[in-house]
Amino acid sequence: MSEAAARTRLGALALVAPLVLFLALFFAWPLVSMLKESVSDPVGSRAFPLTAEAAAGWDRQSEPPDALKQAFVEDLRNIDDQQLLGDAVRRLNSAQNGFRTLMGKTVRAAQEQSGPLDLAAIDAKWTDVRFWRAVVDSTNPYTDRNLLAALDYQRDATGKVVALPADASANTAILIRTLWIGAVVTIACALIGLPYAMLAVSLTGWKRQLLLGAVLLPLWTSLLVRTAAWFILLQEKGLINDTLISLGLISGPLPLIFNRLGVVIAMTHVLLPFMVLPIYSVLLAIPKNLMPAAASLGAPPWRAFLRVLLPLSLRGVVSGSLLVFMTAIGYYITPALIGGAQDQMISSVIAFYAIGSANWGMAGALGAILLVATLALYAVYGRLSSDRGGL
Amino acid sequence: MVQSNIRFEQVNKSFGTLRVVDDLNLVIEQGEFVSLLGPSGSGKTTILMMLAGFEAPTSGTISLGSQRIDQLPPHKRNMGVVFQNYALFPHMDVASNVAFPLEMRGTPKAEIGERVTRVLDMVQLGALKDRKPSQLSGGQQQRVALARALVFEPSVVLMDEPLGALDKQLREQMQLDIRALHRRLGLTIVFVTHDQSEALTMSDRIAVFNRGKIEQIGSPREIYDQPHSRFVAQFIGETNLVEGTLAENGKSGATVALPGGGQIRVQPSGAQLASQKILVSVRPERIRLDTGNKADNSYSATITDAVYHGDHLRIQLDDDAFGFIVKADRKQAELAPGDRVTVSFSASDCWMLPA
Amino acid sequence: MRLIDIARLVFGVLAVVFLIAPLIAILPLAFTSSVFLTYPIPDYSMRWFRELFVADVWRLSIVNSLIVGTGTTILAGVLGTMAALGLRNSGLLLPGLFRTAFLLPMVVPAVVLGVGMQVFFVQIGFANTYAGVICAHTVVAVPFVVVSVSASLAGIDRRVERAALSLGASPFTVFRRVTFPLALPGILSGAVFAFATSLDEVVLTLFVAGPNQRTLARQMFSTIRENISPAIAAAAFLFIVGTLLVALVALLIRRRASQAKQPA
Repeated sequence: MSEAAARTRLGALALVAPLVLFLALFFAWPLVSMLKESVSDPVGSRAFPLTAEAAAGWDRQSEPPDALKQAFVEDLRNIDDQQLLGDAVRRLNSAQNGFRTLMGKTVRAAQEQSGPLDLAAIDAKWTDVRFWRAVVDSTNPYTDRNLLAALDYQRDATGKVVALPADASANTAILIRTLWIGAVVTIACALIGLPYAMLAVSLTGWKRQLLLGAVLLPLWTSLLVRTAAWFILLQEKGLINDTLISLGLISGPLPLIFNRLGVVIAMTHVLLPFMVLPIYSVLLAIPKNLMPAAASLGAPPWRAFLRVLLPLSLRGVVSGSLLVFMTAIGYYITPALIGGAQDQMISSVIAFYAIGSANWGMAGALGAILLVATLALYAVYGRLSSDRGGL
Repeated sequence: MVQSNIRFEQVNKSFGTLRVVDDLNLVIEQGEFVSLLGPSGSGKTTILMMLAGFEAPTSGTISLGSQRIDQLPPHKRNMGVVFQNYALFPHMDVASNVAFPLEMRGTPKAEIGERVTRVLDMVQLGALKDRKPSQLSGGQQQRVALARALVFEPSVVLMDEPLGALDKQLREQMQLDIRALHRRLGLTIVFVTHDQSEALTMSDRIAVFNRGKIEQIGSPREIYDQPHSRFVAQFIGETNLVEGTLAENGKSGATVALPGGGQIRVQPSGAQLASQKILVSVRPERIRLDTGNKADNSYSATITDAVYHGDHLRIQLDDDAFGFIVKADRKQAELAPGDRVTVSFSASDCWMLPA
Repeated sequence: MRLIDIARLVFGVLAVVFLIAPLIAILPLAFTSSVFLTYPIPDYSMRWFRELFVADVWRLSIVNSLIVGTGTTILAGVLGTMAALGLRNSGLLLPGLFRTAFLLPMVVPAVVLGVGMQVFFVQIGFANTYAGVICAHTVVAVPFVVVSVSASLAGIDRRVERAALSLGASPFTVFRRVTFPLALPGILSGAVFAFATSLDEVVLTLFVAGPNQRTLARQMFSTIRENISPAIAAAAFLFIVGTLLVALVALLIRRRASQAKQPA
C-alpha cells in the first residue's frame, strides 16, 4: 500500500473513530449492561464465597459433605453487611420457601458459637437436600431465571424448565398483546397507506403536494403533541364525542380513550407516514407507461391494476409494514398516555419494572426479548431494501 | 527556455489484482499535443490521473523536466486539469471559479481581477462572470473550465474527455478553439478521449491504448495509414482485413498470396515481419469500383448490399472480393445489389500487419 | 368511472382530515380561558401561554430543553458530520458495517435503551446530570445527522474537489472552500433534526434525568398523564408553529442548494 493510500485510510478512521467510541460507550455498553443485568444474580456469590468454592465437590443428590456445611457457616460468620445478608435471605427464600426463619436461626447460632456447628441440630431443614441445593444454586453469579420468567417459565426444584402457574405472571399475555396491537396497527396503516400512496402518485401539482404535506407535517410534529391532540379528541368530552352527540348519532359518549380502540387510532396516525413514504417511493419508480401498456395489451383497468400495479407496489407495502410493525412493538408513549391498564405493551412493563419496582433483572430480560425481536425485524428489512431484484 | 518533457518510465498501476497500466514508457515533449486514445478500461484516464496526482503509480517513475513528480501531491503539481463534466464549483460564480487558482497562489487582489477578466475575454465569457455555473449552458461551462485551467498559466494542461458532454456541432467548434489555444500559448496538452476522429483532428501525436499498454504511438497520419496491429487498424476508422502469406517482399514491390489461390500486391514493408502469416488492411474509401481502369489489384465481384449514406454509398461485396466494404462515390448512386463490378485498389493502399 | 373518481375524492379528503385535523383541533385550545381542554371555548385568553413562561415547572423545563437541545445539537452535529466525512472516504474498510452501526440507535426501542442507560449511568455516576441527558439524546439524534450529511456529501461531484486540488488548493483548503460549503445545507438540516429529536425525547429522559433536568417534553408527558391542562395545548401550539417555521426554512435551504447544483 502506498503512503498516500495509508494516509487517507488513517484519516477516514480518525474521522469515524469519535462516533464509534461515543456509541460504544453510550449505546452498546448500556445495552450490554442491560443484558448482563438480566442474567446476573450476584447476591449469593457475594454473600457466600467460601460455600461457592466448596460446592464444587458436591454431587447435588447425596447429603452435602461436611466441608461444604462448615464453609457455609464460615460465610455466615463473615457477613457484616446487613443489607447484603437481607438480600441473600430474600434471594434464597424466593427459591425455596422457609429460608426466612431458617436463616434467622442459623445466623444467630453461627455468630454465638465458634468452631464447627451441627446444623441439623439447629433446624431439621438442613437435612433436606433441597435447601442445600438452593444455597449452592444461589452462589452461581449467572441465572436464567429472569429470562425464563419473562416468558412465564421457571426451573423447578430438580432444575427442569416448567411453565409458571397461570396466576403467577402475565408476561406471555403481554407479549402476545404487543404483537397483536402491532399487527392491527400495521394492517390499518397498510389499508390506508397503500391507496393513499397510489392516490398521491396519480395526482400532480398542488394536489400531490397537499397529500405529501399531510403525511410529512405529522411526521415532523412532536410525537407528544400528536398524542396530546388525540387525547383531546378522544376524551369523553372530546371533539369526536361532542360532534357525534350534537349530530344525534349517539346519546351518550363513546368510550374512545383509555382503551384498545384509542391506542390503535392514535398509533395508526403516528405511524402512517412510515407506511406511506416507502410505498410512495416504490410507486414513483414504476414507469408511467406500464398501465397504458397493459391496457394496450387488452387488460381492463381493474385487471391491469391487479396484475401490474399491485404486485409492483407490494415491495413498498412489505418494507413499510416491517417498519411500522418494528416501531409499533417498541412503542411506549402513546399506549402509556392513551391506553388503559389492559392496553399496556411490553415497553410499559419494562418501564414499570425499571422505574416502578427497580427490578433490573426482569426489566433487562423483557428488554432483551424486545431487542432481539426488533433487531431480527430490522435485519429482514435491511435485506429487503438492499437486494433490489428480490421479492 | 528549459525543456520540460513529461516522462513516464516503467510505470505500472494495479487496482487489487487488476493491472490497469502495464509497463508504460512514454515521453511527451514540451509544447506537444498528445492524445491518449483507447476504449474504456484501456487505462488512459488512469494515466492522466497519475499525471495529475490523483492516483499514485504502483511502480515506476513520472517526471516533469528534471523533477520527479509521482510522489508530489496534486495541489503542488501546477498543471491545469479540465475534467469530464467540467467540475466547476457549483457554489461560486464564474469569476470566483476562475479566480480560485490565483487565490491559492497568493496573487494580489488587483492582479487577480485583471487576469480573470483577460482569460474570460479570451474564451468569450466576459459578460457572464457573475453567473453561477448552473445558469450556464454546457458549452459555456466548458469554456469556464478551460479558463480556470489556463488562468494560472500552467505549462501543462491535462484534459479528460472534456468535450464528451457537448453536442456534435459545439464539440467541433471547441476542438478548433482548443487547437488554436494550444498553438497560441505553446502549451503541452495531454488529451484523453475515446473518440478517434477527435484524436485525429487535434493531436500532434496519438497514443493508442489497449488493455493498459500502448499499441502504437505516432502522428495521426501514421496511425491511420500504417497501423501496427489489427487492434489499431480496426479501432481507428474502418478497414477491410484479409489474411494471407507473404510471398515476396522486395524494394520494387511485395506480394501476399491468398489461401484461395489469388494474390494481392501490397506496399513493401521495411519492418521485419516475424511470420509469413500476414494481414492486409485496405481502407474502404481507397477502393474504386470503376470498370476499365488499370490498377495494381483488380477483381471482379458482385454487390450484395448497397446503403445510401448521403455523402457516400456503402457497398458490401461478395467473396470474390473478400467480402470487402467499399465507401463509394455518391455519383455511383445507381449501383444496386446483384450488379457485377470491377473492384480495384493500388498496392500503396494495401498495408501489411502481423496476423 | 364517475364512481371511482368520487371514491378517490372521498378517500383522499378523509385521509387528509385524519392526518391533519388532530393537529389543527388542538391549536385553538391554546387560547382558552377555561381550565378544561374541551370545546366550545368559553373565552379567549393568553393565560396558558403566561402559565408556560411564568410557572416554575414549565419555565424550568423550557430552559432545560434549550440547554439539552443545544448541547445535543453541537455534540451530535460534530460527531455525525465527522463520521459522515469518514464514511465517504474510500479508504475506510467495511463502510457498510459502520453505516449500519451508526443507524442502529434509530431502531432500538427507546425503553430498552433507556433501561440500559439507567443501569450504566448509575454505575458511572452519570445519572441525573445534564451531561448524561445530553449524551443520551445525542445517541438517538446522531443517526439523523449522519444520514443528512451523508446525503449532501453524496451529492458532491468528486471531480469538483479534484479540480480544486489541481488548481493548487491544499487538502484542508479544499475542505474549507469546497466540501464544507457544499455540505453545509446537509449539516444544517442534520443539526435541526438533532435539535428537534432532543426537544421531543421523552423516554430516555424518563430513565436518565433527575428532577433538575426535567425537559419540556418530559413535563408535557407527566402533565398529560397526571393532570391535563390547557398548558399542553399552548405548548403544542408552540411546537406546531415551530415545526412549520423549521419546515419552511428547510424548504428554502433545499431550494437554494438545488439551484446551486449543476444541471449537468
